[in-house]
Amino acid sequence: MRRLAGIAAAALAAAWIVCAHAEDTVKIGLVNEATGPNAEAGVYTHNGAKLALAEINAAGGVLGKKLELKLEDNQSTNPGTVLAFSKLFGEGGIVAIIGPIRSTQIQAASPTVAKAGIPTMIGGTDPSLTKVNNRWVFRARPNDSYSSRVIADFGVNTLKKQKWAIIHSTDAFGSGGMNALTTALKDLGVTPVLVQGYTNNSQDFTPVVLAIKKSGADVIGSYMTNSPDVGIFAKQLRQLGVTAEWVGSPSVVTDTAMKLAGPALHGVYGIADFTPDATPESKAYAKKYRDTYKLDPDVYSSWAYDALRVLALAINTAKSTDPEAIRKAIVSIKGWKGVEGNYNFDENGDGLRGYNVVKNEAGKVSFIKHIDFKD
Amino acid sequence: MEFITENLQILFTGLGLGSIYALVALGFVLIIRATNVVNFAQGDFAMLGGYAMVLFFTGLGWPYWIAFIGALLAMAVFGVLFNYGVYYPLRHRSFLPVLISTLGASIFLQNTVLYVAGPQPKPLDKLLNFDGITLGGVFLDSQYIVILVATVALVFFTFLFFEKTLLGKKLQATSQDKDMARLLGIPVALMIAITFIYSAVLGGIAGVLVGPILFVSIGMGSIIALKAFAATIIGGFGDVKGAIVGGLLLGVIESLAAQHISVPYKDAYAFLALFLFLLFRPQGIFGEKVSEKA
Amino acid sequence: MQNRISLPALIVLAIIAIALPLIPYQLHVSTYVVQMFMQAVTYAIAVLGMVVVLGYTGQINLAQAAFFGLGAYGVALGTVGGGINFWISLMLGVGAATVAGLALGLTTLRLGGHYLAMITISFQQIFDLILVNWVEFTRGPDGIAGIGRPSLFGWELADDKAYLVLCTAVLYALVFAVWYLPSTRLGRAMRSVRENELAAEVVGVHTLRTKVIAFALSALLGAIGGALYAGGFAYISPDNFNFARSIEFLTATLLGGAQSPFGGVIGTVLIVQLPEWLKHLPESLRFIKDVYLAVYGIGVILIMVFLYEGIWGLVKNLRAKYFTTPQITTDTRGVQPLVLDVQGDGSRPLLRLENLQKHFGGLKAVDGIDIDVQRGTVHALIGPNGSGKTTSLNVVSGIYRPTGGKVVLDGEDVSMLKPHQRAGRGVGRTFQNIRLFASLSALENVMVGAQRDNNPIPKGDKALRDRAMSALQFVGMADRAHVIVRNLPYGHQRLVEIARVLAGHPKLLLLDEPAAGLNQTEKMEFVELLKRLRGHGLTIFLIDHDMGLVEKVSDRITVLNFGRKIAEGAPAEVLRNPDVIAAYLGTAGEANAAA
Repeated sequence: MRRLAGIAAAALAAAWIVCAHAEDTVKIGLVNEATGPNAEAGVYTHNGAKLALAEINAAGGVLGKKLELKLEDNQSTNPGTVLAFSKLFGEGGIVAIIGPIRSTQIQAASPTVAKAGIPTMIGGTDPSLTKVNNRWVFRARPNDSYSSRVIADFGVNTLKKQKWAIIHSTDAFGSGGMNALTTALKDLGVTPVLVQGYTNNSQDFTPVVLAIKKSGADVIGSYMTNSPDVGIFAKQLRQLGVTAEWVGSPSVVTDTAMKLAGPALHGVYGIADFTPDATPESKAYAKKYRDTYKLDPDVYSSWAYDALRVLALAINTAKSTDPEAIRKAIVSIKGWKGVEGNYNFDENGDGLRGYNVVKNEAGKVSFIKHIDFKD
Repeated sequence: MEFITENLQILFTGLGLGSIYALVALGFVLIIRATNVVNFAQGDFAMLGGYAMVLFFTGLGWPYWIAFIGALLAMAVFGVLFNYGVYYPLRHRSFLPVLISTLGASIFLQNTVLYVAGPQPKPLDKLLNFDGITLGGVFLDSQYIVILVATVALVFFTFLFFEKTLLGKKLQATSQDKDMARLLGIPVALMIAITFIYSAVLGGIAGVLVGPILFVSIGMGSIIALKAFAATIIGGFGDVKGAIVGGLLLGVIESLAAQHISVPYKDAYAFLALFLFLLFRPQGIFGEKVSEKA
Repeated sequence: MQNRISLPALIVLAIIAIALPLIPYQLHVSTYVVQMFMQAVTYAIAVLGMVVVLGYTGQINLAQAAFFGLGAYGVALGTVGGGINFWISLMLGVGAATVAGLALGLTTLRLGGHYLAMITISFQQIFDLILVNWVEFTRGPDGIAGIGRPSLFGWELADDKAYLVLCTAVLYALVFAVWYLPSTRLGRAMRSVRENELAAEVVGVHTLRTKVIAFALSALLGAIGGALYAGGFAYISPDNFNFARSIEFLTATLLGGAQSPFGGVIGTVLIVQLPEWLKHLPESLRFIKDVYLAVYGIGVILIMVFLYEGIWGLVKNLRAKYFTTPQITTDTRGVQPLVLDVQGDGSRPLLRLENLQKHFGGLKAVDGIDIDVQRGTVHALIGPNGSGKTTSLNVVSGIYRPTGGKVVLDGEDVSMLKPHQRAGRGVGRTFQNIRLFASLSALENVMVGAQRDNNPIPKGDKALRDRAMSALQFVGMADRAHVIVRNLPYGHQRLVEIARVLAGHPKLLLLDEPAAGLNQTEKMEFVELLKRLRGHGLTIFLIDHDMGLVEKVSDRITVLNFGRKIAEGAPAEVLRNPDVIAAYLGTAGEANAAA
């Protein structure tokens, strides 16, 4: 029992150690995945934020002080995310937070954020996240209602296809995307000929492919979560002779998926919120990122880069670290050019309303067009 | 006509997947017979085999067959390590500590590989340099053909090894009665080590063979192992024939059910089949009545 | 469990326990610490379930996260979806989990170990699939947000701190209950199942029922933890209740020590805290943070190899080593003499085997034997190796069901009854290779024997204890009552095993090579013991190889060879029967040839 007391004391001590910092910087928290199954994405997010941090501080910081990033690991889990947020809030002096990229983690932490009343930039793309009566959540990425509208718009208006098959993972991301895509197609007057879900890590997509074949679909819209699933599906799709066009969520044009699937994914369109050669801003960022980290930039880093710069901009505009003032400054940001696109924040806190369409041309991703929406 | 080709197509991939389950199940059964313990890291043997192949073939650029043999040798060494690290210290204890120990080994292996190789799944080349053939409207993936042939060959080889060689007979004696085997002068500890080696190599082969289809990833073994274990129960716990038949049956059942009932619940069918067997025929297809073993 | 805690230690413990949840009230701590406490407390409740099922009963459960999830979803769907009161939702969730636990247990626990591991994993996977895919009911992968907190006696618990006090109070109550459990009738039955399931069944423990109850209790505790968790964090989604979480519960249980609720709590706190501590490592050791799951894995193996009883076991052993002198002898004043008298109709045989057969595939181990064992006699069954003696005994005690023929006990056909049902009708037995409950004390072993169904003693723990002490006194082991039987010498273990049977008031005593492994003095003492037992009117049916002993104690002998009866009668005549002599010599010759 003495042990237990000791453990409790140590826990408290651990929580208090960090309170003893002097207030000479403006602190922004970063809750990301430093451990657990998604730890690699967490590293990229940190990379992007660090790049922005260096730039901001080189340009004089915010409110005349240096900006400081406080990292908090969420262990790639929901409870871990809640703990990470409450730890940062508990330490005091945190002005704003950059949250995780996974929607369920944000959902889990949302009540904590609402209670603390501190502006939080998120990367999760579930549309509902900014609409759950939480004034403090802002999104530095376009949400899935736009990804699906871009997929639908590109397929119907650019590729001129009407017979849609929607393939989606049954997890949060996949089902959310499927619902949004169905709605987006309906708005364009199209009812999909097939909507087919599958569970992540399926080893065989033969039944799915046969269903597509039977439906006579001439274009496939997909929300698939894991790269191996994309790879297996792509291979079996082509093996069984389906030649339909394919416009997928960002997972079809990730580096990993393209490596796994090889030629089976050639000619496939995907959407991406970040494409290195889309705009002058993204080109400049990509170069800088490559020079610094000797790695190709991706969405995990680019959104965090934008998120921190948006926060710094808002704090400087507000001339204060008061949460209400920062909130007001964020929602008044219009037409600001980030590396992901042009930010126009609305009252809900959504900053972006469009995606890039890219194409896998023999293993290389090339930029096709950017589609933006007004509402 | 379309109905027939569709179902033949489903049947083919079902058999292909099923023979992977069967291969892993075979490794399971050999260890169960030798040590009376279910090895929960059996699936990770396949995962390790796959990664060894990726390292030698893709990473170091060795020729395919050299890399293949290298991967199998690596698995043999690993089998020894596994035996002495995970099983041997607990050999005199009841099954529960050993089972939990293999579970620990599984967590360790997956996370170590995750740390070393990163979370990105890796592609692997097919054994044959053509994608497949179309036969009467049914596409036969060349790798699935290889898997089917290899499974038949390995089952046959295992049979010959156990029935026709002295070493195989010693292994059998060990699995039937360790005390008796010891009295007859058979080095029991060595026999069990050999079983682990053989099982690790079998797992490794499964990993290398399935890599081109399911890709090599950290979790590739887990789900296969669960199905394979279900197959050993359906076939008859600890029965070699049962493992093979159970594996093939399970692969076909889940493919057909996915096609005709619902895709997202695909993984549930295997477990549902397992439940039904446990309720109505707990001894499995080939097993003796379980209740007799008091 | 003799967790005798001294009074000052108890007071200190109580003060710490009360102070712990009140810390947030007295000191300014962040929400972070409060939530960490909340996580640890709710997880710990689920881990208590693992203590019951794994630690006490020795059954694996790899679906604790699913039961945890059932409780959590009960509260979430009830309060958010159905607008039902928190407490009623909690009951619904906990009820559902308990029913699931019962159903799962009933279908698989009769098959034991490996199956259970597999089935619980399957259940976990299916549970996961349903949570994700059955969107209409579970709201799918998005999970459920805005879960409310309850009020208690008009007291609103919306505040984090107040809610934490509630959860901690529940945890304490459950820790106490789980701590108390082993010294109850049910708890002893559970531990006897863990130690030696076959012996437990033969001694009269309804092992299947005990295991199912343990499993259901585990599910129930898991669900309580989950329900409180849902209220604590206000949002749940399927990925909180997956296989990885089950593994986490398992690891926590093993790390802390599966056999004690305190161990479970320590393990949980460590598992929840570990990632936090790893963050404070020096830069050169940071890589450990990236591989801490791998470290868990190694940790599990190391615990299995070196620290089977976990941290709590270590603490207990150290305490036993340095702070207390183990109690070797027990005060035996006031122990009542053992009452063994058996009533019944004296005219018919107590045990009758009618054309009894037991075949294993083609092997006819027992091939149609008829034996009458008369009341109040010692009847020996002898024969060369492989003649079917032990098989016959196993059929009589119910371990095997006969292929054909009947076992009639005191006029009742018991052929189809389970071993514990036969024990409940007064059949007691010992085993050739002693089967005691190794980590229980001699007294507890014998108490398990005393708690068989229909044992004609008064109700209650005290009566069981008195009965057990009397039985130990009878065999001369009363002063060693509190020694863990693992630490007793072989001869004493034999005596404890006999005391265990005697405590159950047997009509018929089956002894399987009772003198095997005893030295000459011990054998002499044993013969005396048998004679005393017979003097009490007990009927004894025994197997032994020692012809001297058999001749001394038996009233009647039956000889088996190749599963058939070849001779029967008084010792002197049977042992001179030429067929019997031939059978012994013949098999000896064959045995040599076979080797």
